[in-house]
Amino acid sequence: MYRIYAIFIGILITIMVTFNGTLDGYLGNYLSILVIHLVGLTAIAGILIFKKIKPVFKKDVPLYLYSGGAIGVLLVLANNISFSTLGASLTLALGVFGQLILSSAIDHYGLMGMDTYKFHKKKIIGFGIILVGIIIMTIY
Amino acid sequence: MIYIILAIAGGFLTILSMVVNASLAKRIGVFQGAFINYIGGLIIILLITMGLREYLHMEALVNIPFYAFLGGALGVVIVASSNVIIPKIPTIYSTLLIFIGQIFTGVIIDYLRLSHVSKGKIIGGLIVVLGILYNSNVDKKQLVDEN
Repeated sequence: MYRIYAIFIGILITIMVTFNGTLDGYLGNYLSILVIHLVGLTAIAGILIFKKIKPVFKKDVPLYLYSGGAIGVLLVLANNISFSTLGASLTLALGVFGQLILSSAIDHYGLMGMDTYKFHKKKIIGFGIILVGIIIMTIY
Repeated sequence: MIYIILAIAGGFLTILSMVVNASLAKRIGVFQGAFINYIGGLIIILLITMGLREYLHMEALVNIPFYAFLGGALGVVIVASSNVIIPKIPTIYSTLLIFIGQIFTGVIIDYLRLSHVSKGKIIGGLIVVLGILYNSNVDKKQLVDEN
């Protein structure tokens, strides 16, 4: 059942990227991100109020864990700029390629406190297949 | 070429934000984490737009179709539901399933926007799925061997 939800998350992500890309077309790269964050903050504040949860700031949390929002701004910026030129499907395929490369690196070196899983040479074949798929998507 | 690099960089940033947000959520809670995430993002983008002297004007907002404003709210739904669902299935499957949902919605949206179905994008998307499946199998065998 959770697997169907995972597919559903994928569908939502693409719809979100498209909506954000449309907003970007009207407001430009930076103001669109401002609006996206204003709407997002309103939504999450609404959820907190509805569920009667109090926001917390803990002093013992390492500072870099608070950088997620800044990373998110760069992420939306990168997505919006490439979406307008490359279209939805190619932007996503290249994004997944990037995700696989970085997650392999994190696994291999055990970066950011994650467990170490050494990179298996056989996975180069999979990356090759993915690259062929992306090239086909780019050409057509 | 610059757009291709930018799209790949987007993938790097996706993983980074997932790792950072998940660790924060583990320490202070899913919704509190998302709240901090949006406050941090809002501060950064406010500083950027002020630095660039770009300001929101009401007249500019009036002409925008309503649905375009929903992306920010969808982001909250995605972050919250990922935090619930992703820990419940192996990462190898979540990457694959999310990609399948993304790519075929992407093909449909490109069709609605540009009104043509690209066979290359469907075939290419299927080949990408094959590649992810292949690597997932390598990971799975490795995990079984190590145990």
